[in-house]
Amino acid sequence: MLPLFLLATAKGEPIQVELKNNVTINGYLVDCDSWMNLTLENVLEVDATGEHFKKFPQFYVHGVEIKGVRMDENIIDRARQKEQRARNWNNNNNSNNNQRRNYNNRYSANSSGGNRGNQRQR
Amino acid sequence: MSQNQNRSQTAGLADVFQNDSEKDLYLESYMYTTAAALVGSIDKIVTVTLREGRVFIGVLRTFDQFANLVLQDTVERIYIGDDKYAEAPQGVFLIRGENVSMVGEIDLDQQDKDLEKRAQIPFPEAQRIRKELVASKQAKTTKERELMLSKGFEPQS
Repeated sequence: MLPLFLLATAKGEPIQVELKNNVTINGYLVDCDSWMNLTLENVLEVDATGEHFKKFPQFYVHGVEIKGVRMDENIIDRARQKEQRARNWNNNNNSNNNQRRNYNNRYSANSSGGNRGNQRQR
Repeated sequence: MSQNQNRSQTAGLADVFQNDSEKDLYLESYMYTTAAALVGSIDKIVTVTLREGRVFIGVLRTFDQFANLVLQDTVERIYIGDDKYAEAPQGVFLIRGENVSMVGEIDLDQQDKDLEKRAQIPFPEAQRIRKELVASKQAKTTKERELMLSKGFEPQS
């Protein structure tokens, strides 16, 4: 699990971003990318002195300006679970037996479209 | 000759690693990468010093090639003088790598030794004191700089 993967797991959750100029941005993370650029919504910006507050419905943060991001404590467990599920899903899809079974099922009269019907793992 | 060189390199590595599984983690040419330095500290308590001087202590959970770090149960600690300190819990903190100055693993046995002789003060008060110290130090260096300039000494870049 890489740090940016953890950040991506926080999408939709409230986070706190501290910028290099010591301004803190509190808001819900909408999206992030590999340069750590962020879009947030429902944002409260607190200036460096802690005295002035501004509200914004939408906010964009340039990754280069970020010093750090604070997130909810449970996020690490949730990211690990997500990674584990993704790994299981990949393993199920990539195993050779599976691929052969898919081919056979697709072209047999009794198939229900291969394994797709059974893959509702969550 | 290259064989001799290889042998001396691996002999050096044998001193560094405690067991074979540690050796597997490293390739000789990767010895001085960020990853090589940090991978041993994963899931251990580390202290991270930022370039601006702030200190964070937490369990290092993950990192990447830029030294972006993720700390869990992070605490920001301020040391004031010889006798005071303050702590503020931060939860999970993702630190962007370019702001990091140092990362060091904390020895659990020695962990609270530097706190033994210190009294804990409230964090906002410690922040205020630190701000004053920084401001006075800045004022002092500007005065020094002006004095040097007036005598004809340019600051080194």
